Amino acid sequence: MRGTQSAGGVVPSDGDRITGEQKAAIEETFGRHVNRGQVRYLKAGHLDVLESRRQGIRFVDPVTGRQMIDCFTSAGCFNVGRHNPVVVAALEEALDSLDMGSAALTSTHQVALADKLAEIAPGDLSRVLFAAGGGDAVDGAIKLARAATGRTGIVSTVKAYHGHTGFALSANGKPHYRHYFEPLMPAFSFVPFNDLEAMRQVVGDHTAAILVEPVQGEAGIFPGERAYLEVLRSLCDERGALLVFDEVQTGFGRTGKMFACEHVGVVPDIMTVAKALGGGLFPNAAILYRDVEPMRSFVESNPNFHRSMVGGSDVGCRVSLRVIEYIEQEDLCGNAARMGGKLRAALEQLMGENPKIIRAVRGIGMMVGIEYIHEFLGPMMSDALAKRGVFAAYSGNAPQVMRFMLPITANTEEVDEVIAAIRGAIADMRRLLPLALPAAKLPFGLRLLNDERVQTSLFGAFRKVEDMFGGKER
Amino acid sequence: MDRAQSDALWGRLRTRFGAARHERMQALGHDRIEERREGSWVFDEQGKRYLDCDGSGGIFNLGRRPAEIVAEAKRALRETDQGNFPMVSWEKAELARRLADFTPSGLECTVFSVMRGEALDFACKLARGSTGRTQLLTVDGGWYGETGFALTLSDRPDRERFGPLIPDVGTIAFHDVSAACDAVTTRTAAVVVEVVQAENNARMLPEGMLEALRRRCDRVGALLVVDETQTGFGRTGRRFACEHASVVPDVLVLGEALGAGVFPIAATVFTQKVNAFLNSHPLIHLSTFGGSDLGCRVGLAALTVYERERPWVNAARAGSTIRQRLSEVVSQHGRAVSVRGKGLLLSLDLETAQRADRFCRVLSEHGVLASPGMVARRSVVLRPSLLIGDEEIETLEQAVEAALISNAASKV
Repeated sequence: MRGTQSAGGVVPSDGDRITGEQKAAIEETFGRHVNRGQVRYLKAGHLDVLESRRQGIRFVDPVTGRQMIDCFTSAGCFNVGRHNPVVVAALEEALDSLDMGSAALTSTHQVALADKLAEIAPGDLSRVLFAAGGGDAVDGAIKLARAATGRTGIVSTVKAYHGHTGFALSANGKPHYRHYFEPLMPAFSFVPFNDLEAMRQVVGDHTAAILVEPVQGEAGIFPGERAYLEVLRSLCDERGALLVFDEVQTGFGRTGKMFACEHVGVVPDIMTVAKALGGGLFPNAAILYRDVEPMRSFVESNPNFHRSMVGGSDVGCRVSLRVIEYIEQEDLCGNAARMGGKLRAALEQLMGENPKIIRAVRGIGMMVGIEYIHEFLGPMMSDALAKRGVFAAYSGNAPQVMRFMLPITANTEEVDEVIAAIRGAIADMRRLLPLALPAAKLPFGLRLLNDERVQTSLFGAFRKVEDMFGGKER
Repeated sequence: MDRAQSDALWGRLRTRFGAARHERMQALGHDRIEERREGSWVFDEQGKRYLDCDGSGGIFNLGRRPAEIVAEAKRALRETDQGNFPMVSWEKAELARRLADFTPSGLECTVFSVMRGEALDFACKLARGSTGRTQLLTVDGGWYGETGFALTLSDRPDRERFGPLIPDVGTIAFHDVSAACDAVTTRTAAVVVEVVQAENNARMLPEGMLEALRRRCDRVGALLVVDETQTGFGRTGRRFACEHASVVPDVLVLGEALGAGVFPIAATVFTQKVNAFLNSHPLIHLSTFGGSDLGCRVGLAALTVYERERPWVNAARAGSTIRQRLSEVVSQHGRAVSVRGKGLLLSLDLETAQRADRFCRVLSEHGVLASPGMVARRSVVLRPSLLIGDEEIETLEQAVEAALISNAASKV
């Protein structure tokens, strides 16, 4: 709180104007009291920027004053834009009379949001259980599936991302996130995404649930194929397993429909939602499920099997309700489809022009990914884009993959701006490749280039060279 | 809200959450629609006032809607939003720094969560990651939350329905200090305990146990993790319950009392030594909602209020007054009911779950909101605002007396 902080604090007198010196102090404090490695890591990837004046699709780097278009959006939280005034007003109004509310009681706000979620949910997903965040929702969904079916097996997919709490982490398909914390829960298996045969082989009468993201996000944006998701549905029906869709990242218009599974018309038994539901302001999450056996009997005899003290809070529900209404009123789903399509088409054209830089462009709606040919291009592109006013992050443990997930409020001019910046950054890469590639061909060169610690120092040098080449243009 | 409107709302609630949820609320006298809330009190759709002694499992240590914190939430809302989670912000840095000041000496590093279970799950992961060991130990009777690690460690009869859960987790006997210490070996990553088992009839760790576990952990290189989700921020009459024993854990788990019931935020606070693991593996544990910039601003305001009001002083005083007065009331009403606890974390033992449920129902009729313990279902937990005064104590005493009379009159 301003003016009352103890000595040694890093509260700026004006958060919109921060000097380089103040930024260094913030990073030092963050390094000491949160994580030094994270600061180093962000610097190496040129992602060490502070965010001020968050508005619409942009924020401003308070040190340089540079406007940045947010293409990361906290992995799909800011669907309605940064600091959306309509949602801000709803939160402000909620704070006039409410707080998080008593977990023991209920409120009109909680029931209203539950009704709204059931109304917009695909098919007959009509039951609701609130949770605090995506991981909590996935944990609850797996508990529901196991206990309701009386089975243990959970089939997840390779590279899947479901969160970091105990159940969600056990279902996480990236060894990177699991390795140091094992042994995790038994009876989880992993099959390649979009591989029907592999799925058919593992799903049996011990399987409680198949858990998938309809579009794998963190893995590098791989949309589930129609036939794949359809067969998952029938496979579950045949073998008495439940189908769980994790729509934490894909929900609320991100893919051009309210929920990604609507693209293929497949309704899961259980669906988890979070992120964008909070409007980028106030955390909220939910598990939606069908009012059918065996879930009905289990929940009716265990109504408090997964309690949350803070999920479905009164303030949170008021905000979430306004978020959904806003998405509907402004047809943000349609906008995400149109603007995302435009972005993807432009990136595909760029790929055709730059086969030595871009390996693939994937996506659906405003969930678009570029896969570069080399891992080291991820951090280099982050830097080149940042200089052109675009904040885009590469995947933590797959740095060749970069996600473009703008607020789905973005208009034509804004998307054109992003496309122009990407085009310019790719041109920078074309100039840099003749320097980087010979290094990559040396023994161990590529491995060194792809090592994040080496990148830290090397990219500093690259940046200087790049400035020599590109300085005149800017 | 008129009767027809509230009936309609209950109908919708049954459709969305299941009839059993409503029936459970009815059994506890919690079938109320929450409207206004202020200080120690909440008001239902009829305008009836209740003293909030449930507190959503100990979130509302500073009462409902503390004005200063709500005002700061609004101010912060004009300036910021939740922010991009992997990025550095002054809000995260400053709250982590302030938590280092606020928590026992030596605990300097913070990872934020949105909720208690997540903070506990992370503590377990941190213990495994930083020690390179896998075994997690706890004592029986604990309750840590609903997420994977937290559930595995909790004393919950239906736990295995959700399993198989996290392997290599062991439970050691609560009462035997020396047996407990023997169980902790060089293959133990961490011992996870609550100082007061809030959901288990406020059972306290036996005298000397926390100190003995501290010494044993030091000897074998295991971490001591203390979950202060319910006991922290002054609830037991000290800032943190581990201070009663003058023990500093390696990892301290803090619940949503950090956000004072205004914004969901929790934290895991630990030593620099333990943080070495995370410094070499940054972003290996992520939380989209944890450490939201808005949430950190609310947490900073809450810490300012905690530091200024020192609510643990009132908690100790009011807690001992209540315990004494309730004990007197109990002695006047036939059937033996024990009153246990520390500070303003109190628990009454009603002998059976059925009696505990009915006790909550009668309390509710007399304007007090309370819930049975999650482990000891025969107990009723009382955790009011730490800032309560005479009026609240009076209300509580009268309601408890009414519930005791009803309890004594009942055959089952």
